[in-house]
Amino acid sequence: MSSLAAQVAEHPRFHLLPQSNQLKALMTIIRDKNTKRSDFVFYSDRVIRLLVEEGLNYLPVVEKEVTTPMGVPFKGVSFEGRICGVSIMRAGESMEQGLRDVCTSVRIGKVLIQRDERTALPTLYYSKLPKDIADRWVLLLDPMLATGGSAIKCAEVLKEAGVKEDHILFINLICSPEGALHMLEKFPGLQIISAEVDEGMDERKFILPGLGDFGDRYFGTED
Amino acid sequence: MATDSIKSSTLMLRSAGRPPWYAADGKNDPVYMVGVAGGSASGKTSVARRIVQALDVPWVVIVSMDSFYRKLSPEESKQAFLNNHDFDHPSSYDYTEALRCVRDLKQGKATSIPQYDFAKHAPSTESQRVYGASVVIFEGIFALYDPTLLSMMDMKVFVDTDSDICLARRIKRDVTERARDPIGILQQYDRFVKPAFDGFVRPTMNNADVIIPRGLDNEVAIDLLIKHIQRQLDARSQALMRPALVRQFRSEDDLSELFFRVPETNQVRAMQTILYDATTSREDFIFYSDRLSRLVLEFGLGKLDLAPTTVTTPMGVPFDGYSLAPNVTGVTILRAGGVMEKALHSVVRPAHYGKILIVGDPVTHEPRLHYVNLPPSIKDGQVLLMDSTIVSGANALMAVRICLDHGVKQENILFMSLLATPHGVHAIQSAFPKVKVVVALLDSHISEDNLLIKAGYGIFGDRYFGTEC
Repeated sequence: MSSLAAQVAEHPRFHLLPQSNQLKALMTIIRDKNTKRSDFVFYSDRVIRLLVEEGLNYLPVVEKEVTTPMGVPFKGVSFEGRICGVSIMRAGESMEQGLRDVCTSVRIGKVLIQRDERTALPTLYYSKLPKDIADRWVLLLDPMLATGGSAIKCAEVLKEAGVKEDHILFINLICSPEGALHMLEKFPGLQIISAEVDEGMDERKFILPGLGDFGDRYFGTED
Repeated sequence: MATDSIKSSTLMLRSAGRPPWYAADGKNDPVYMVGVAGGSASGKTSVARRIVQALDVPWVVIVSMDSFYRKLSPEESKQAFLNNHDFDHPSSYDYTEALRCVRDLKQGKATSIPQYDFAKHAPSTESQRVYGASVVIFEGIFALYDPTLLSMMDMKVFVDTDSDICLARRIKRDVTERARDPIGILQQYDRFVKPAFDGFVRPTMNNADVIIPRGLDNEVAIDLLIKHIQRQLDARSQALMRPALVRQFRSEDDLSELFFRVPETNQVRAMQTILYDATTSREDFIFYSDRLSRLVLEFGLGKLDLAPTTVTTPMGVPFDGYSLAPNVTGVTILRAGGVMEKALHSVVRPAHYGKILIVGDPVTHEPRLHYVNLPPSIKDGQVLLMDSTIVSGANALMAVRICLDHGVKQENILFMSLLATPHGVHAIQSAFPKVKVVVALLDSHISEDNLLIKAGYGIFGDRYFGTEC
């Protein structure tokens, strides 16, 4: 692991999935350029489910006492705080089902951000967010965090809509160390949940070793 | 139909659930083995069946030596079709194969018993899978012939029936069941059957513990025999398993390093609270137990050893990772463990599925095996054993024992559960120290009277399937 990657992994607001051999095996499949699409989708979905489960752990809970079927009291906890998902189109939409499987009928906002070819800056083209998003925790969904350009733009859109910075959990499968650090510095309340931190980026700002274009491979639109 | 001549010579009889056939240390009790020999058509099979009917043993198998006729050479085969081959000679049997099967059965292992095609005078390509007999009866004219086979028998019986009666029965049987003509049968009798009986079979009478004159008609002798076997079996019967397993755990006992618990995150605690709450709707109970099942499964799969591999990403860069386990069998312990199969199905694509039905005895709550069906490939790969709850560990012990009996290696077994007590985990680990145990929730409150987890979710299967009283 590069020193930059190590710095990311130790950041208090950066949460890496537990690094088991099994997770590594899943990542191996989705990174392999020879993996066929059905496998790519199946194993990405599995990692996404793990990411969503992990992300939800950073939401608050409150104490709750219940009575078991044996008539015994049990001191437990219950979920607190309302949530919603926001996916960055198009690739982020691949993560919506994983969220819905765990939080049935969750509200989901969508944001389309693309690079403006004249200015080379990420530009907001479309956004549709739940009306009361300011009162919710937001799981921000985008599978790849490279430079962080789109994600930063999206976080700004969320803040403008009234979302508290420390109520944003950014969930992705793979991030570049530069992108993750940039984002954590730019938003000192935001948390990132990721499956793996990669080595860096190439000159076209693709993550290395990466997995290519996630959206193309997931939705089957590669050349 | 050609297959009419392939009669299964092995008879597996199940009258009720099978009680534990092993001790709390996980070791199999020796199987009780009876050898029944006697001349051709002397009534060996009938005696064997009478013994089985009279014994109060739920799972019993009668293995016939007919299954072990050896393969004939082309010349021998030609002679056999001319009724010129001596099937009544001791050399007509494949003792290696017989020994393999009998030894497996004696050790309580699953085995496959060959079948013989009497019309083709050749072993059939099919075989019969047999597992779980607490009493094995091995019958045949040379059942008391081979010294190694003899050494494995607890009771050796010789049925001594008058030879006229034997011949009459033999003609009837071979004509109706084995498609032979009477002249051929008589020729065979004179040339082979009679000399073989006098020369080889009758002398094995000396190896018998009991000789029964007149075969099945001799009710007094058979009755005495059955009473004796029953007494010996009674002396072997086990004390109650569940309380013994619970008692052997002491609070200072540590669970071994092969015990893994899903981290107690907020989500896990919140799901636990929902499942424990008596007022939770069935819909929610199902939803959250499915969600928790998937977490246990993903967490458990993370404990498997995997082989390293290197792939190339679409960016043209190598990536050092791992390959998924190639051969995974999920075995669910029904009823409640069956709910975890759904989670397995959503995470492991090419999994095989085995099923075991264990039901508590209505009075003692002791585990009883009612059904087992495991894929033959199970012995070569990883096995994920699944049950919703481990309380005393008695059901888990039985399930692990079944896997071992089917050739699975202890270190390839991963036992996964939603909720366990330390007592139950300890019981599994004491008996089978190499089995990995993975649970989502651990709760130590066991109610003494019915051995249920007091603070738990009640009877999991009832709440999931909606069959509460």
